[in-house]
Amino acid sequence: MATQAVRPMRKPDERHLARQRWARAGWVYGTMLALAVFFIGPFYVAFLGSLKDNPLEWPFRYSFPQTQPKNWAAAWRLGQLGAGNPWTGGFAPGAEVPFQISYFVEEGQEPEPPTVTVPTRRAGAGLGAIFDEVQAAPYAQVSEVQEVSRRPAVVGGQPGQIVTYAFTIRYPRGDATASLPTVPRLPLDIEAPRGQRYYAATLDPNRLERRGRVASWDSITPGFFGYVFRNYVRVFNEARDPNTGASFFLRWTANSFFVSLAVVLTTLLFASLGGYALARMYLPGKNYLFAFIVFTMTVPGQATFISNYLVLRDLGLLGSLWGMIVWSAVGAGAVFIMKQFFESIPREIEEAALIDGATPVTTFFRIILPMATPALGALTILTFQGMWNEFFKAAVVLSGQQASYTLPLGLSFFRSAYGVAGDWGLMLASAFLSMIPIIILFVVFQRYFVEGVSTSALKG
Amino acid sequence: MLRSQRIEALYALLFLAPFLIHLGIFFVFAFVRTVGFSFTDATLIGQSSRFVGFANFVELFREPRFLAALTHSISFMLVVTTLQTFLALALAAVLNQRLRGITFFRTVYYIPSVLSSAAVTVIAIWFFQKTGFLNTFIGYIGSLSPVLLTFGVLFVLAQAVQVGLERWRGLPVPWLDPALATISLVVALALTWGLVGLGVVRPLEARPPEFTWLTNPDRFLGVPIPLWSIVILNTFTTIPTLMLIFLAGLQDIPKSLYEAASIDGATPLQQFFSVTVPMLRPVTFLVITLSLIGTLQMFDQVALMGDAAPLDSIIVLAYYVYNNVFSGEGKVGLASAAALILAGLTFAIVLLQRALGISEKAH
Repeated sequence: MATQAVRPMRKPDERHLARQRWARAGWVYGTMLALAVFFIGPFYVAFLGSLKDNPLEWPFRYSFPQTQPKNWAAAWRLGQLGAGNPWTGGFAPGAEVPFQISYFVEEGQEPEPPTVTVPTRRAGAGLGAIFDEVQAAPYAQVSEVQEVSRRPAVVGGQPGQIVTYAFTIRYPRGDATASLPTVPRLPLDIEAPRGQRYYAATLDPNRLERRGRVASWDSITPGFFGYVFRNYVRVFNEARDPNTGASFFLRWTANSFFVSLAVVLTTLLFASLGGYALARMYLPGKNYLFAFIVFTMTVPGQATFISNYLVLRDLGLLGSLWGMIVWSAVGAGAVFIMKQFFESIPREIEEAALIDGATPVTTFFRIILPMATPALGALTILTFQGMWNEFFKAAVVLSGQQASYTLPLGLSFFRSAYGVAGDWGLMLASAFLSMIPIIILFVVFQRYFVEGVSTSALKG
Repeated sequence: MLRSQRIEALYALLFLAPFLIHLGIFFVFAFVRTVGFSFTDATLIGQSSRFVGFANFVELFREPRFLAALTHSISFMLVVTTLQTFLALALAAVLNQRLRGITFFRTVYYIPSVLSSAAVTVIAIWFFQKTGFLNTFIGYIGSLSPVLLTFGVLFVLAQAVQVGLERWRGLPVPWLDPALATISLVVALALTWGLVGLGVVRPLEARPPEFTWLTNPDRFLGVPIPLWSIVILNTFTTIPTLMLIFLAGLQDIPKSLYEAASIDGATPLQQFFSVTVPMLRPVTFLVITLSLIGTLQMFDQVALMGDAAPLDSIIVLAYYVYNNVFSGEGKVGLASAAALILAGLTFAIVLLQRALGISEKAH
């Protein structure tokens, strides 16, 4: 080429190379940030969805009433005023709740005060509809609606004015002899005459209908959680056992913990015993046995569950958490991990103990197990996570017994119970709640998760 | 056998006893029983059953739902394994750097893999709704396409101009020189922002989404659209695990190989294909096997979808077996035969891997 003949190619100088290195690092970090958004982003938007009144709204909003600090403060204060409970709110005897709402009224129209009603509204769809909640309507007294202020404004290019109205909702104590209930929620509907559009309120409404004429609240004394994490509170409050009235979700969480911890204990004991025997002890045909164990890991659970279902049925363990524990008591994978670990520790220590005349049982429990703490730690984490997330076995053993569901099966139950009504807020909230223990475990013990995968898989 | 050896063997059996008893009841006995059931017309509620030979297997291949499950399982396995392997390898290659804070990112990427399939599937069903986030996002990108296109063209132009200038001055810069690309990025961003501000380039108006994922009766490449959503979901949640396995493999490749290659003048891309890929072959084998087996046995996502999608468009072998046992009278015989076919397919994959693995070692 002509240019090359005139200007011979230079070697890039040191400054140029340094610049390239820095820029490359920048691009790598940028890529990694983008990938982080890819892996975490879906969970973030789903979490936003779980806070919304309508998670399927279109267009999708990233900022909505539940994310605005103004509403957090208002919800806190109103909860305090309603029942002295800033967290979950309510409506107690003696409460006095002042409230304000502003409308935009176009020029040339005379503003009129809106109608305020405390409706009787059942909580949610699905399971919640079974129970009769104490309603606020019979106890609440709405004061006269008064105009507070008018100021001219231009909204959406239209000249007009913003009119603010105020009223107070009271819960009279009545005579001291009657015992009045504390109501969990104080729902409210405010309907404005035609032509007036909702502009602002002490607390933003849960729904706006008919072009901003009708604003409605599930509770105007919600408290912080009751407003921001409304769907999360509903997960606990609305899904209850029709017979006992106990919260399903709490029960499922307890069940999940019970099964996971029990299986962790049995797995730790049986897998370390078995793994040690396979790694260290004399047993004719040991290698064939080990090959067989590895083989069992590839056989799908669907090829064995029918008989296991029948065995558990004969033992009377169907629909019981014990059935799940017995079925999962020790897995081939756990024995495999422990065998690999015991093969990696030096032999001399146990040999010394054996020469001293200790039996294998004493050696194992006094000397071997204490040395195996790191492997046992990893096994604990992996087993706990596996059982916490186990769906197939739960679907086989626990099917139909809602009180003994574990969380994954419970989520599946919610999906069929609330999916019909499209109550996505509650479903998303329950999904996020069920993740909390695993996320905590992951944050604290992330090394075990990451190493567990790469080492155990590679050695296989 | 020495007496001490005999005692040790006894102790070994004692240690292994809980595990072996469990394995005996819940695996060996169970598997033998499944084989037995598959030749009978047993039902879950029926008391008696009789031997029917291979009738169950013959019936399976006459049943449209089983055939659908079989095709779905196999196509799901092939599609997801291909996607997962390539994406996980690419991701691992990006992450295999000695940079500060890289472990943090590794941890973050792993999160989708540790969460329960139940929770993730519930979130995914929301994601795939008509006005769910996926359609919203696609619509958003679509409406922004004029802006993104402008940005892309400007970026390429800026980079081409800069590289051309440097080469003309006699510096051997590569087309993707990172330092120049940073400048191109800033320039392209500024120009795009300016053009949008001036109103020369305008985003299109966003329209409400029309596309349905879970209730769509159409097919793409012969696979029903609802199953594609499970493909996307499963790929997303499994990539991190496979990526970590690849990463462990990458870190085992001696640095000296790369140094030798670069002294011989190999470009990073050449190094990737002539050093990384062959050295990673055993790990790739493992990843593919794990992925094939895992996807073939996929159950949770289909079961959790439930009536969110029509069953015949998402059914796979594992769910077919479960569904036959726990619906209606419980066709245990038929389900067992289907389960054996599933197990047989898995076994064939393992055998194939073994056979190829041996030739790999000889090579």
